[in-house]
Amino acid sequence: MREVKDKRRGIDASKRGGSDVNGIDKKGKGRKVTEKKPPYKAYLLFGLFLILLPTIQKMGLIGSATITVLGTVIFYAIVGIGMNVLLGYSGLISLGTAGFMGMGAYLSAYLTADLNLPFLLSVVVSVCIPLIIGLVIGLISLRLAGYYLAIATLAVAEIFRQVFIEFEVVTNGFSGKNAGYPKLFGVIQFDRQLTFIFMVIVLIGLMIFTYNFIHSRTGRALLTMRGSEAAAQAMGINLFRYKLTAFGIATAYAAIGGVLYVHFIRFAYPSGWNLMLSLQILAVIVIGGMQTIEGPILGSFVVFGVPELILKQLPVIGNVDGLAYVFTGVLIVVVIMFYPNGMIYLGNDMKKLWKKGRKHGKEQLPASE
Amino acid sequence: MSTFMQILFSSLETGSVYALASLGIIIIFQTSRMQNFAQGSVGMLNAFVATFFLINTGVSPYFAAFVGMLSAFVTGMLVDFVIMRNAKHVGAIGKEIITFGLIMFFLGIAPMIFGTSPLSFPRFIQSGTFEIMGASVTHNAVLNIVVGLSLMTLLFLFLQKTKWGLAVRVTASNEKTAQLMGVPTKLITMGAWAVAASLGALSALMLAPAITVNVSMMDSVQISALVACVLGGFQTFYGPVIGAYIIGLSKNLLHFYVSSTWGEALMYLLILIFIIFRPNGLIGKKKIKKV
Repeated sequence: MREVKDKRRGIDASKRGGSDVNGIDKKGKGRKVTEKKPPYKAYLLFGLFLILLPTIQKMGLIGSATITVLGTVIFYAIVGIGMNVLLGYSGLISLGTAGFMGMGAYLSAYLTADLNLPFLLSVVVSVCIPLIIGLVIGLISLRLAGYYLAIATLAVAEIFRQVFIEFEVVTNGFSGKNAGYPKLFGVIQFDRQLTFIFMVIVLIGLMIFTYNFIHSRTGRALLTMRGSEAAAQAMGINLFRYKLTAFGIATAYAAIGGVLYVHFIRFAYPSGWNLMLSLQILAVIVIGGMQTIEGPILGSFVVFGVPELILKQLPVIGNVDGLAYVFTGVLIVVVIMFYPNGMIYLGNDMKKLWKKGRKHGKEQLPASE
Repeated sequence: MSTFMQILFSSLETGSVYALASLGIIIIFQTSRMQNFAQGSVGMLNAFVATFFLINTGVSPYFAAFVGMLSAFVTGMLVDFVIMRNAKHVGAIGKEIITFGLIMFFLGIAPMIFGTSPLSFPRFIQSGTFEIMGASVTHNAVLNIVVGLSLMTLLFLFLQKTKWGLAVRVTASNEKTAQLMGVPTKLITMGAWAVAASLGALSALMLAPAITVNVSMMDSVQISALVACVLGGFQTFYGPVIGAYIIGLSKNLLHFYVSSTWGEALMYLLILIFIIFRPNGLIGKKKIKKV
């Protein structure tokens, strides 16, 4: 009990004179107002814009394939937002993202198509099971130095891939697993447009949830940890517990992304959940912007949208194999080296640059650790 | 008994492949304090170079392997010179993410240059087997084992006995101090990347006759090599090598005696359990972090 009290004091001390011993979220947010208002309005507007897209498509302004690509962008953005809590705020890398996504996808497909469970119940189950497995792996590997998580999750992803191939009852093996569009409460049958809108709603909901999470006590503890693990530990922050929380969030979001994947694409194939996909998710965060909520959405668009929508249309080089990978790979390296805050700040920085005219301040961008 | 010997020899062969790859990873880890996740894909790319050279010129596999290792040496130098040297400010996690970017880059660029269809690289020695204690071992396998072991012995002798080896070890233990003592750390780091890359290429070429040269040929080697580093511990140069041979052997044993589908998965699981009890690996010492 005493330990818990100390911990609370520790975190408060880190925020310079906070007094929310009871840890009421509202108060915490109140303090933050001086910095920034919660950007819910912007989120909702963005969501509204996305919801309008299927209608615009019906009017014939954008192609039907574009909606599919944008749907892909949305569920990978969700996975990215979750991974960002892990990578951006606690500096840990997971390479098992694709495995957890796949597990969520297969479970949900199996539960709805084969067992005829209600959609929402199957979502809950297919998020909880990967989450529990993720937490067990975290319990083992997070006790060790940070980089062990990357290797442990890499090995686990390999095990998962074997499971996806062998457990034919659930996954249908190499032939791949089919799933249908979601059916809410057993009556409302979604079509592609409605599924897209449903995914947008999930995305916006998770963005708001993540925003609140980041600005809660746990989020602040994670931020302190990110600054300096030793300092955070000295303040009484239980590193292990918060790292595990962050990993849990990343796993759960990955599973949600997988569930949405299988009900939007309506097909899952074992070799799709490979290391490359996990790396692409990492690219989503790095390119978009670490420690932001909007960053992964932009990153997801760049990694999964741009190659499909723009690169493939290019003459001559558009049809070259591996172009998308080269594009993403080079972007990762360039962004990490020269623009470590991510492309989400591109707009802001351009504006600053515009204001300053030709006098470009030479301040170094903070290095991402 | 003869089955066991057969497994033992084939484990020594795969163990050599893993050991060469993990030696590359640990050399880079020791000198740059980062994990190189792109070790496998650098090997893959240069295996393509070697095979392409072999097919187009018809030279002997030995010479092609030499060309592949040479081009890997250059690749490694370039990676250090162009990217890693200019990423000093980035931090370990950032650098690891850069190697993820490199994986994607190499995986994308390989089919662009060499086409999407897998190429085949011949064995170094086409035929012939030895009979050793009831097990039949191909000449090529013996060559792989011997080359792997002797190359590693040479590298360890180099590290322990020569002045340059000392420079590598000094850089590994503390880069800043080494710099102050006049050790050319930049050159050492570049050399580490170059040697690591050529070890990766050699391991890819040893593996190539069994599985053809394709873009995903090194995926499982990369994972096994990293796990070998975890098993052996990141603190010494020889730990991962021992780890690699253990992994090669246990993979084959589990594969044969327990389950052919779940053997590999089971091994990863056992290693995960093992690191709970010995978090620093077999040979590892605990590193005390100073604030």
